[in-house]
Amino acid sequence: MKTELHAIQAEALAALKDVKTPDMLESLRITYFGRRGKLTDVMKGMGKLSKAERPEVGKLANEVRTTLTAAFEETTHTLHRQQQEQQLEREAVDITLPGRKPAYGKAHPVMQILERIEAIFRQMGFEIVTGPDVETEYYNFDALNTPADHPARDLHDTFYLTDGHLLRTHTSPVQIRAMENQQPPVRIIVPGKCYRVDYDVSHTPMFHQVEGLLVDTHATFSELKGILTAFARQMFGDQTQMRFRPHFFPFTEPSAEVDISCTVCQGNGCRSCGGSGWIEILGAGAVDPAVFEAVNYDPGEVTGFAFGMGVERIANLQFRIPDIRTFYENDLRFLRQF
Amino acid sequence: MNVTLNWLKNYIDFELSASELADRLTMLGIEVESVKHPGAELEGVVVGCVNTIKPHPNADKLVLCQVDIGKTEELQIVCGAPNVREGMHAPVATIGATLPIGLTIKRAKLRGETSHGMLCSEKELALSEDAAGLMELSTDIPVGTSLPTALGLDDTVFELEITPNRPDCLSLIGVAREIRAETGNPLKLPHVDFNEDETDIREITSVTIEAPDLCPRYAARVIRGVKVGQSPAWLQQRLESVGIGVINNIVDITNFVLMEYGQPLHAFDCHKLAENRIIVRRATAGENITTLDEMDRELTSDMLVIADAEKPVALAGVMGGYDSEITETTSDVLLESAYFNPSSIRATAKALGMSTEASYRFERGADPGIVLAALNRAAQLITELAGGSTCKGIVDVYPGQQPLTEIQLRPERVNFVLGTEIETVTMVEILKRLGFDVETSGRGQRVTVPTFRSDITREIDLIEEIARVYGYDNIPTTLPKGDIPVPAPNPSAAVRKCIKHSLLAAGMMEAINYSFCDPNCFDKIRLTADDPRREVLKLQNPLSPEMSGLRTTLLPSLLENAQHNRNHQIDTIALFEIGNVFIRKGAEKEPERVTGILAGQVGEGVYSNPYREPDFYDIKGLVERILEVCGIVDYTLEKTDAPTFHPGRNAAVLSNNKRIGIFGEAHPEVLENYDLPYKAYLFDFDMEALTDAAIFAKCFEPISVYPKVERDLAIVVDQAVLSDMPTELIYKTGGELVESVRLFDVYEGEQVPEGKKSLAYAITYHSATETLTDKAVNALHSKVVKHLNQELGAELRM
Repeated sequence: MKTELHAIQAEALAALKDVKTPDMLESLRITYFGRRGKLTDVMKGMGKLSKAERPEVGKLANEVRTTLTAAFEETTHTLHRQQQEQQLEREAVDITLPGRKPAYGKAHPVMQILERIEAIFRQMGFEIVTGPDVETEYYNFDALNTPADHPARDLHDTFYLTDGHLLRTHTSPVQIRAMENQQPPVRIIVPGKCYRVDYDVSHTPMFHQVEGLLVDTHATFSELKGILTAFARQMFGDQTQMRFRPHFFPFTEPSAEVDISCTVCQGNGCRSCGGSGWIEILGAGAVDPAVFEAVNYDPGEVTGFAFGMGVERIANLQFRIPDIRTFYENDLRFLRQF
Repeated sequence: MNVTLNWLKNYIDFELSASELADRLTMLGIEVESVKHPGAELEGVVVGCVNTIKPHPNADKLVLCQVDIGKTEELQIVCGAPNVREGMHAPVATIGATLPIGLTIKRAKLRGETSHGMLCSEKELALSEDAAGLMELSTDIPVGTSLPTALGLDDTVFELEITPNRPDCLSLIGVAREIRAETGNPLKLPHVDFNEDETDIREITSVTIEAPDLCPRYAARVIRGVKVGQSPAWLQQRLESVGIGVINNIVDITNFVLMEYGQPLHAFDCHKLAENRIIVRRATAGENITTLDEMDRELTSDMLVIADAEKPVALAGVMGGYDSEITETTSDVLLESAYFNPSSIRATAKALGMSTEASYRFERGADPGIVLAALNRAAQLITELAGGSTCKGIVDVYPGQQPLTEIQLRPERVNFVLGTEIETVTMVEILKRLGFDVETSGRGQRVTVPTFRSDITREIDLIEEIARVYGYDNIPTTLPKGDIPVPAPNPSAAVRKCIKHSLLAAGMMEAINYSFCDPNCFDKIRLTADDPRREVLKLQNPLSPEMSGLRTTLLPSLLENAQHNRNHQIDTIALFEIGNVFIRKGAEKEPERVTGILAGQVGEGVYSNPYREPDFYDIKGLVERILEVCGIVDYTLEKTDAPTFHPGRNAAVLSNNKRIGIFGEAHPEVLENYDLPYKAYLFDFDMEALTDAAIFAKCFEPISVYPKVERDLAIVVDQAVLSDMPTELIYKTGGELVESVRLFDVYEGEQVPEGKKSLAYAITYHSATETLTDKAVNALHSKVVKHLNQELGAELRM
């Protein structure tokens, strides 16, 4: 009987090597483990053995069964793996067929830049405040130390409404509205649309500005430089050089125009910067005491600074659109580029 | 305003190169917009004298010239110009010179004869269009002189942007003062010295100021026996170098002094003044004057004129009169130097639509202190250059003389405002270089402002002066030390952000349109005659009729955007805009709206994502997404008769019984009006209403650990039954065990009776507290079926 068991094991293991399909495996399983299977038959014959033989043969029979069971299992796995591999091969796709892209829209390029500007100032503790586009002469000019006969008004080609209002020419009126509504400290930025009678490749009659205002008991011109330097480094890169040039705005004093090193030539001089190496990006200055007086702040008690920048201008440092009126055609071929 | 390097050096010495000067001026606040070297293109062109001319042996139309250019040997130059003659001085382009027209001069053989250069016409030097012959140069100019020097072109022209607060810089001396502030070098003012004759000016003329509020100072001189003619070359060159045209010697001198001192002057032909006298007065209403530009101008009673005994002879501070202008026959000149009220000049110039060199300066504020110096300088030059003799004395009427402004300056305040540690002595030095008088007074400094700095009235003005001369670059860069204010909550910003992001994620592109609108656009979107959106705010000065109103709705511009894209063969149109509109009612209100359009096709048109036409449920899906991200769940829809929309395919969204927006298919007529060949779907929401309805507070709901049970249910109902009626009934009947009801099929047609439709729902039953048994679910499901039958007449579809 022992010989028989050894033979069955050897025969079964040999047969397993030739198994190619699950069906062949199943019939082989029946050949050995089925109700009339070869191993089953041997096991059934165990009862006829003598008591002395039984433990030894029984042990061997168990060993053979364990070995074969394991071998069958392994073959099952192998067959399954092979089958799966074949299936995967059949399932191969043409990886060059186009993907099914989820739809994805894009924010308007001017808004993308505006949102970046807002984010930088929010980090520095500035609150976003807005105001109306339709303004009065008082908020747009008078309260900003620009009375009716001031030559600076020539620089603003203002749209007037038939009812006597005007379209704000800058976001600065919101400085006044904000200070009328709150006491210092003030730390705000004001994004918004502005309007001037101008229409050519570098001007649109509507454009966007971001105004900034900081008022405190001890706000200095050096802090204005600090805030704007921090802004420019984040906006244009940490190698950005800055230049503050004296300028004139009726509502700030001292006033400055702020240049950054040209983003195209890094300050060496090129066509974009007119050879100067500098590009003007914003106007700024310490809040004029006359403005504080207009909002009933005591200029002896508080100081402050303000700045304003054109969003399209900053956007175009990056995008270099030859005709900025393209911004407002909403041509999808254009909008998709940004 | 233009100034030149050489001209500036007449008034101050400095060692700065042109580019250094440009840089320093810019950093002082006088922005140099351009630096030009007009002579640079004429390098290598010199003045030559044609000594002898011989015929060319091989050409009839050419001659051989021996030309002296100041070198030891004469040059042989072949020339074909008709006006070439012996003894003439003409420009010679030497070997190696490149002319402005791009021609580089080489030694050349012309018909066998060598030419060592080229005699040039004005056109060849790009000086004028004159190509008829050689440019004739004065024989006074020594041969060998470089042509740029001979023509006064070897100079550097700076184009300056002078800010409106700095009229004192609108002159050569004014700019020189700034250079003094920068370098500390002294000014070199013109030395004015001339002889007066015996006749007292008061015997000849008089000046009466009847409007001293508008004319605080008026001074005059009379020069008799002048000869009006061309100005000398140096004067013409000076004026031309800064872009001022030459007229005649008298007018040129007044313009020269204007540029030199910044003081506008006017010269009258003395004999054309009735009674030879000057009255400065307001015009009478309806009075007329013909100005120098030969325009007839009607005056109003708030305009200041210079009049003679009978009529206005000049528009004060703006432009002289045609009838009293200097002509070739003028012999006696009355020279005016005055100071006018800036507001008055500005108002007059603006009312008449005029802007002149004079009005530009007077309206910004001229210097009443320079009136006499400029007058004397002009009289001197006229005597020198136009002959004539100056009458004794000046008529100087000065009713508006003001004491000099004095300001107390606190040095510690300067440093406080700037964030600097500038020494007081440095401040004093800066102010003195700028022309201020400074004396120590108490704990501060008493600063006296010169008459040319009318912009300086307050301490802060002095602080700015100190800052800009000290150098903005030298002011430290620090970060604010103050408290950061706590921002107020801004729910509308949060809603805007959520909506924008969800629309972008849904593939919509953001548009921005002008706030302007065409007041006729409302017909195109079929608004009724009484629609409040037709009440637009109108512009007084629009760019065009199409941009003459302020928009009250975003729909027309988005439809125009669709049309624009369609016209450019782009048919995948998915655009939205978040922007304000302008409503006339009540206080200035600018409600914000979010509006979108979907038209043409959706998808990418590729194998995996083919194009398809959008339909009502695409726009509805976008709207549902907007409402979802805003946390708005309690809303209802109702059909509307909004004329912009397809009457059967639109819905208003109501939250708390208030309409917050509308969406649907555009009316076919609207599509026609915008030339759209396909359907378009629109939504249009009020942001404030969305913000009011938005709920961002979220609360955790326990997630059931028990298995859920799904049952499908197909029912046949009347077509009039809307799909959400069964849905609601299922929720109501099933109670809290119904987790969700999903409509997965709608069917009409075969196997469904006429007038009926089949709706198929997947109902999910789920309990938070137990495993639902089949028995329990069956009972509940039967109850649902029963209620659907009883209340909606729904039959189970097998």
